[in-house]
Amino acid sequence: MSKKTMTLNLTEAEMAALEALCEKKQMSKTQLVRQAIRLYQKVDERIEDGGKLFFENEVSKEKSEIMML
Amino acid sequence: MSVAEMPDISPISLFDPTAGSAVPAELWDGITDKNLGDWEVEWLPELLKRLRILHGQGVARSKWPQSRLWDWRRKLQAIEGLLANQCFSIVCNDMTQAMMITDLTHRAKLDAKQAAHLVYVEYLETAPWNRKEIIGQEPRLSGCGSIMIRAAIELSKEEGFQGRVGLHSLPQANNFYANQVGMEDLGIDKDYQNLRYFELTPEKAEAYITKGQQP
Repeated sequence: MSKKTMTLNLTEAEMAALEALCEKKQMSKTQLVRQAIRLYQKVDERIEDGGKLFFENEVSKEKSEIMML
Repeated sequence: MSVAEMPDISPISLFDPTAGSAVPAELWDGITDKNLGDWEVEWLPELLKRLRILHGQGVARSKWPQSRLWDWRRKLQAIEGLLANQCFSIVCNDMTQAMMITDLTHRAKLDAKQAAHLVYVEYLETAPWNRKEIIGQEPRLSGCGSIMIRAAIELSKEEGFQGRVGLHSLPQANNFYANQVGMEDLGIDKDYQNLRYFELTPEKAEAYITKGQQP
């Protein structure tokens, strides 16, 4: 599949977060950004369809809703 | 992804057990309208023919292949435009021999604390004439399942998931995933139609790819 190249402008803090995530997930910056787009698109579509995104505490079962822009 | 218009094509080989020889085939990076047409016009009538035989023999419906209920056109429509899903198909002799839909947004259950991503095989089906358990004789072509799993591993590596692959297996395929592919059996998943969940670790994925490259 053909790919397109882009320049991404990030703040130092954003770049540090990206690099930390890459290190943690053992993924390249390109791989991580591609995955982030997939997840964002999927979550956004679910929410548009009327779904809600929650985190649930495994022990207390307390739920907190994640807001999506 | 939606129905692909121009998929990338890679040359592969399937095996013709009757002739005892390899047959050139193609792995398509997508599912096209041609594949869906083959499914509708060729796969479904063949499957129905086999179901009639099972029905006539009094075989319980619970023993019929579960994939008979899969509607590939509807499945493709449901993931229209979604980047999370990557599709593949295998074509040989101008006929679709297998199709697969994967999802790249699942997480590994093995070593769950690491929360690593994997390629989750959502649906994988081979043409009815390639399935021994349906036709009751040697398949017309074999090797589709192995090639699809290899494609999933390669995709996993390309996306930075180190070859991790996960799937819920239909009962008739449990043996293939456990013993031929070497996936870890995590047991029956009560949250997913009581199907067994299998996962391939990076090490086992590498071993499977290496095994396939041996002469």
